[in-house]
Amino acid sequence: MISKSEIKTLLDEEPRFNDITCSLQSVPKLPKALLKETRETVAIARKFNKEVVRPYALELDLKMHADPDYLPYDFVEKANDWGFYTMWLPRVFGGRGYSAPTMAPFSEELASACLGMANLVGVHYLGVSSLAATLNTRMIHKIFQDTVNGEKTGQPCLISTAITEPGAGTDVEEVELVDKADLSCYAEKVKGGYVVNGTKVFISSGHLSTWHILISYSDLGKPSENTVVLAIKTGMEGFSFGRIEKKMGQKGCPASELLFKDCFVPDENVCLDMHQMKFPRSKRAVATALLDDVLAASRAGVGAFGTGVARGAFEEAAAFASETEVEGKLLINHEWAQSMLAEMYKNVTLARGAYVETNYAIGLYGTTKDLLSKPMYYYSKFVPQFWIDKVIAPLLKKPFLTQMARKNRFKTISEKDQQLTSGMGSMAKFAGTDAGVKNCQMALEMMGQTGLRHDHRMEKLLRDSKLLQIYEGTNQLNRLNLFKCMVARNIPQAKVFEED
Amino acid sequence: MPTASEKELKLLEKAAAEFAGKELVPNREENDKYPFGPFFDSVLDKAYELDFFHIVLPEEADGMGHGMRALCTILDCICQADSSLGGIIFTCTAAQEVLLAAGENKKLKQIASNAKKVADFLIAFPVFNNPNEIKPAAGAVKKNGKYLLSGNSEYTVLGDLAAQAVIPSKTDGQEGYSYFLIDLSDQGVQKSKPVHSLGLHACPAVDLELNDVPGDLIGKPGEGKQYFEKMTDRLNVAAAAMSAGIMKGSFKEAFEYSKMRSQGGKKIINWSEIKMILANMAVQIKIADMCVKSASQDADSRNPGWAAGSRAAAIHVQSAACDMTTDGIQVLGGVGYMKDFGQEKRFRDAKHLQALLGIAPLKKIKYIDSMIR
Repeated sequence: MISKSEIKTLLDEEPRFNDITCSLQSVPKLPKALLKETRETVAIARKFNKEVVRPYALELDLKMHADPDYLPYDFVEKANDWGFYTMWLPRVFGGRGYSAPTMAPFSEELASACLGMANLVGVHYLGVSSLAATLNTRMIHKIFQDTVNGEKTGQPCLISTAITEPGAGTDVEEVELVDKADLSCYAEKVKGGYVVNGTKVFISSGHLSTWHILISYSDLGKPSENTVVLAIKTGMEGFSFGRIEKKMGQKGCPASELLFKDCFVPDENVCLDMHQMKFPRSKRAVATALLDDVLAASRAGVGAFGTGVARGAFEEAAAFASETEVEGKLLINHEWAQSMLAEMYKNVTLARGAYVETNYAIGLYGTTKDLLSKPMYYYSKFVPQFWIDKVIAPLLKKPFLTQMARKNRFKTISEKDQQLTSGMGSMAKFAGTDAGVKNCQMALEMMGQTGLRHDHRMEKLLRDSKLLQIYEGTNQLNRLNLFKCMVARNIPQAKVFEED
Repeated sequence: MPTASEKELKLLEKAAAEFAGKELVPNREENDKYPFGPFFDSVLDKAYELDFFHIVLPEEADGMGHGMRALCTILDCICQADSSLGGIIFTCTAAQEVLLAAGENKKLKQIASNAKKVADFLIAFPVFNNPNEIKPAAGAVKKNGKYLLSGNSEYTVLGDLAAQAVIPSKTDGQEGYSYFLIDLSDQGVQKSKPVHSLGLHACPAVDLELNDVPGDLIGKPGEGKQYFEKMTDRLNVAAAAMSAGIMKGSFKEAFEYSKMRSQGGKKIINWSEIKMILANMAVQIKIADMCVKSASQDADSRNPGWAAGSRAAAIHVQSAACDMTTDGIQVLGGVGYMKDFGQEKRFRDAKHLQALLGIAPLKKIKYIDSMIR
């Protein structure tokens, strides 16, 4: 009826079969234990919500209204006590070794109760991925060890990512735009390291973090080929904190200004310098891969945040409708309200589908591809601790391992795979976050005056949700990135980011 | 019906715009901190001196005797800068309108004549609840020919500012509900702390707990619904004007910022995606303006269908303001989410105002119900 070559040709037509069946392709390849692991992380998040987040989230939000400079160490300490800051660090680096795909459902759970809390955990892993993307195994080992020790000693050691600048926001997250961005964070090469001058803004958890993965540039005229990733430790000379932004929501997770004034960063803290190492690909391709590796996953994570807050809004509206009489009968028994709740439920489900499918795509074609193969998965779970300590850990400090890892990663970059994971990451981000804001708005419409009150939680969810449409690239940028990755690839005459 | 001339409207608009620019804009962020910062008493005093609370009050009750166009003009100008003051004016006017609907002009005159300061003049009112939707939680009992009110009145706006309040209450043996004027300094009145809310922070609400508080019946017993509906018919267009004002403020800030901010080497106003957002905002403002102008003129002239026009204007403009202020933040990106700019406050205020006079989707149901009837 149909030949093999016909099948191949037809399935390579748009929409490409491989692009639209990531889950179907992925599931048979995944280790069975991943399901058990996911069940466990979701249950842990629900327990944490019940015991920690829900009883305290409103109180903290109110406290932050009264004192916008308050830093929520208490919340961070709780998350540290529960092991959340090492949960997704690989065992070879001293972490608890949970698999990356289990993090998004965990984030959805936390976000359904409080986006500020979800971000206090999530943004630490943005720092983790920014550092991990450099594949500098020595620095990864050093900083992850600090986080592990922070958990043991009860002194949380968080990692932040510093990329946004006063004059550059959306454009620093897109290689096509960064060369035209108004950047100011300059890393000047000096003997033994770099000297950094400039300012980073809107750095989530900045004031709370011990390590900051700084994205700086050794040539502001051509940043896409002169990116320098530096590890800055709180307390280093020349580095200080500026203001804490006065945000509308997500108040539990401070957004900080980081100031660099003649800050000397020694060579040992250089995580990645495009000029110090030879890469098998062009500098621009490496910069793109670095950004895409981090952003595809982090944007899917923000999609999970959006799903979570959309769910939180649905749950608040459903609870209100179930206990409130309107015009003589429970609101839940008004057909229009049932229809609105069904619409909200649909928004949650579709948003979840978007981030879940994106994570399957990343597992098939992105950064977690190797880690999720069955042999690697089970090896990472069951490799004896003494073997890690005696054999693997010392190796991690050797420069050749970093070289090897980079060679392996950057040599195998496939534009097609990058387009898919990056495009889907953007799709999950704006689908989930738009659903989050939409559901919050719908819930408030249903709840009338009750929804306006801080003590009924719903108004906080709306305030919190709005930030999701802005960070990790505005939803406008993410739409264009989806177009670039998934649509323009088939239309040779299409030009993106080149409008006159 | 009384209405202002075009010349009077221009003067009112000028006065309100000047007042908003001078008194509201410079301290918007500070004023929005309430109750975690001081209340803007001096602003309220000045608004009172300018008779912003007297607009639709009949002349015989010491008011200006203007109509809805005048009220809409003032609310639009003020809400472009800070809708908290708009909320205070609206709430007091809603209470006045309930009294007027019940023919209680004398009570209004008495309040106006006795007022020595703004608090004496203000009337608190639970303006975000339609008692036909969610029943009043206060009850009135007649003893020795006088009504005594007990129970709760949640989210009573201006409850901690005003000397008196108009409160809906069930009455023994009576269908429906009645409105009562109560003295908020009565010893039977317990006030909560200001209820921290989504928006309109400087238009505070409190929960009232009433314990045998003497209540002065407004109009006839059991006729509360009728008075509420009459008030709503008229004031919906004023609610729409507030949202239209917020939209204008949001657009203005987004437009100015987009001309100043560069991304990817060019001003963001030159990105056609941003132009599209701004264009949608500008179109929505034009439509909102037309809605408010037409509906308020109809209301003042009592043209056929004026009440439906007023309700439709509110439904449409309030919804548009919620969408538009979301975009208003988006144009500014990260800074739009911060308190340094006015956009985040407008986003909150627009959603807050959508709940004025009851649950938003039910306003649509009622609209079609009125056509079915």
